[in-house]
Amino acid sequence: MKNVVIIGAGVAGLTAAARLKDIGYNVTIIEKKTYDGGNVASWDRLFPDSRRASRLIDDVRRPLGEGVTIHYDQRITSLVKMKDGRIGVGTESLGIIHADALLVASGFSLFDAHLKEEYGYGIYDNVYTQADLESMFSSGKVLTRSGDIPRRIGFVHCVGSRDEKVGNRYCSKVCCVTAVKQASEIKQLYPDAQVYCFYMDLRMFELPYEDMYFNAQKLYGVRFIRGRLCEAAEKMDKSVILKVEDTLAGQTLNLSVDMLVLMAGMRPASDTARIATMLGLHCNKEGFLTPVDIFSRGNETEVDGVFLAGTCTGPKTIPQTIADARSAAIRIDEYLKKRKK
Amino acid sequence: MEERFSFDPFVLPFTIGLLFIIIYLAVAAGKVIYDLPTDDRKRFFRSLFSWRIFVSIKDIICECLLHVRIFRRNKILGFMHMSIAFGWFMIIVLGHIEVKLYAPHRLNLPYFPIFFRYFMKETEHSMQGAFFFFMMDFFLLLVLIGIGMALYKRFNSRAMGMRRTTRLKNADRIALYTLWLIFPLRLLAESHTAEIAGGSFLTNTVGYLVGIVPEDYGRGFWWAYSIALGLFFFALPGSRYMHIPTEALLILFKNAGIRSRKKGDGVATAAIYSCSRCGICIDACQISSAARKPKDTAVYFIRQLREGDPAALKSAENCFMCGRCVQACPVGIDSIRLRQNVRELKAPKDQSDYSYLPAMDIGQADVLYFSGCMTRNMPSILNAMKTILRNSGDKYLHMDASSTICCGRPMLLTGQIDAARAMIMKNTEIIRRSGAKTLVTSCPICYKVFCEQYSLQDVEILHHSQYIDRLISSGRIKVEKSSLNVVYHDPCDLGRGSKVYKEPRRVIDAVAHLTAIPSAIDRKKALCCGGSLANTALSESSRRAVTVDAFQQLTASSPDVLATACPLCKKTFEGVSEGHSAVKDIAQVVVEAMEKNLSSPCEESIEKSTAHTIA
Repeated sequence: MKNVVIIGAGVAGLTAAARLKDIGYNVTIIEKKTYDGGNVASWDRLFPDSRRASRLIDDVRRPLGEGVTIHYDQRITSLVKMKDGRIGVGTESLGIIHADALLVASGFSLFDAHLKEEYGYGIYDNVYTQADLESMFSSGKVLTRSGDIPRRIGFVHCVGSRDEKVGNRYCSKVCCVTAVKQASEIKQLYPDAQVYCFYMDLRMFELPYEDMYFNAQKLYGVRFIRGRLCEAAEKMDKSVILKVEDTLAGQTLNLSVDMLVLMAGMRPASDTARIATMLGLHCNKEGFLTPVDIFSRGNETEVDGVFLAGTCTGPKTIPQTIADARSAAIRIDEYLKKRKK
Repeated sequence: MEERFSFDPFVLPFTIGLLFIIIYLAVAAGKVIYDLPTDDRKRFFRSLFSWRIFVSIKDIICECLLHVRIFRRNKILGFMHMSIAFGWFMIIVLGHIEVKLYAPHRLNLPYFPIFFRYFMKETEHSMQGAFFFFMMDFFLLLVLIGIGMALYKRFNSRAMGMRRTTRLKNADRIALYTLWLIFPLRLLAESHTAEIAGGSFLTNTVGYLVGIVPEDYGRGFWWAYSIALGLFFFALPGSRYMHIPTEALLILFKNAGIRSRKKGDGVATAAIYSCSRCGICIDACQISSAARKPKDTAVYFIRQLREGDPAALKSAENCFMCGRCVQACPVGIDSIRLRQNVRELKAPKDQSDYSYLPAMDIGQADVLYFSGCMTRNMPSILNAMKTILRNSGDKYLHMDASSTICCGRPMLLTGQIDAARAMIMKNTEIIRRSGAKTLVTSCPICYKVFCEQYSLQDVEILHHSQYIDRLISSGRIKVEKSSLNVVYHDPCDLGRGSKVYKEPRRVIDAVAHLTAIPSAIDRKKALCCGGSLANTALSESSRRAVTVDAFQQLTASSPDVLATACPLCKKTFEGVSEGHSAVKDIAQVVVEAMEKNLSSPCEESIEKSTAHTIA
């Protein structure tokens, strides 16, 4: 039986593993963390239908059954293309695994919001990222640092996305919808709270998103203000005073919020660059891996037997990631069948 | 000594060339002085008749002849320049002394001292001429060594400690090649007549070799020598060698205390023509060395100005205005000012109305803290400064706690002088009204502008590193020295721009272990972080290349902390640090060292909001 090794046990890695196992391959997943599900594991609920993130992970994990081995807490130490066409995958404690095909599903990590120091993340008590807020939702306690119920909450879109100053010109795709989702959830939790979203553009590109945006305004009264935050300062009571330009109304606003949530963008996962160097894969200037052809060969690389899936090639929603991972599984199967002959 | 001839047609190329260049230089110098603003012109003439003229003479000898500044920077390069300039000068001087001694009636012939050996013959072997023969040969040898080095440098600049050297234009080529030829030809000519006219170790020896050339043809060497000189003089105005005469004028201007104020004023012209295109600035400029984009470095920008090339309008923008090139320039050309001249010329005329600026009355205090726009956006620095101010015991006010008026520098840098003036006036009013005796700023950019563009009379202006230094040395804040290794990075506008080097180092030394960095990137030669607002032309990726390179150089010793004293430097370096060495402002490092002795936070002095607030 042929071996397929997958780097990353996130949504992409798990989905592809299930498909490949069903076709009849021996699948091994190498995961750097101690749990599966990747970034989604730290989420509470998902757009567009507010399903639990844990339920989604269960759904992608369930078909794996017994046939797939997941090695947690493993760091890739070497990746070598061998003479027989296989790939030697070296880890710290497992030795070298010989893979007939390798799927890179290393995913993304959130932009480090500390780098936008002007927003005060890590400095002010009540500045959070969307991931921090998800943890709060999971724990059921959405409270300020001092344990109070927030009465005013601001969401800042495009933190580390579409921002040339931090070197990320691209759109991270999912943050707009996430902000709409979280803003609505806050209002579900605290109907009396004032919620603001500060945005450049709202990119509601899939069918249900526009409805979510509409409901956020109509049902929940979330206020969308077009303009980037220019200053955030902490007051003595630990609320955050914001200076922002409302570019539609053409006026500057000073308002204070009890919680400021930064919608941090997607960056390539920290190990992606290392993996790319070891295998000689191409990265674009943002550091995401680039497939051979985005139309026809979106899961293939220039290196024979190495495939890509999920957000390691750029920001994606979860449905897109799942579709991409399935397509990668099909491509791997085609590749391995051809090699058998 | 006996006179053989007093004239020969071969002197004509030299004599005509000399006449041309003297007239050209006289007219050009006249125009440059005429182009000075009236008050500067008066100041210039006054300085000629004051003690300052002696300083100028000393400077001219040191810089134009001995090239002391190049020596300091690069010994080999310095020797090359000195040997050519000083050797040539001595040959001319000694030539005139010879004429004065042996043929005083010929002093009125300008060519006579130059072709002395041809016109005079030695009558007897005596010590009388031997001294001069030796001296002339010695200095000729010195020049020839210099020329040899110049030749070598042209083809192998790295061997001379330069990574890059400038590309040549046609007039430069003629001047360069004739300059290379002048002295070898002089050697051949003098060697050929050495038997008749006398010679020393060099000319006599070479004389034996060129002796095979028949006597009649020997005059050809003198013709060639004269033609080379003549051609050099004719090529001079269009070539970079105009720096030889112009630099002297620039030194006179500098010592008269005159600085360029606008494009095309006399000082600007003198500065442009004083550029020898040595190319030292190309290596000093990080846009060239780190981002590999040398095309707009000072030397090329100045050449564009000199040639009236409209490209100068664009290249004026592609500069961090960090001042490394000015610091490195052996002639001391203020290319930053030249760029500023162009920026001011093309700046949009003031279209904005600044009457909306709030008339703020912030109350009375002894110390006024102006955080500036960039520190307001760097809460880590702002919080640290608030802690320090609270513990200082001073009666202080945070001048721009709720709203800020820009110090004016960005407007100045883009040449919008009137807009900058409006802000400067408003800030001045606020500061004066507060009755403060000290103004503390966290941003070196603000600091420089407050020092140079504001007239705040008896208000003392301090950068926070200076203020903290005082607080520590007077014991008003208590700090504990840690074992952290800290590298200090001089922000451009604080170090080179405002000459504040001591205080920040003293502060760090009091709270941590100050780690040394190579002198090539320390103090006056400090690197630019690459975040400078002054450059409006460079791409983000090139900026990043500059930043990454500077960060790597600064943290080569893997210090615990890279400390700086500028919000922009901190922000810029943080973007590339990726966890190697923490990037901190000096105020943060101090607060961490005083943590134990902190008093409890008290109410913020003022918190007013002037802008519209939504309900």
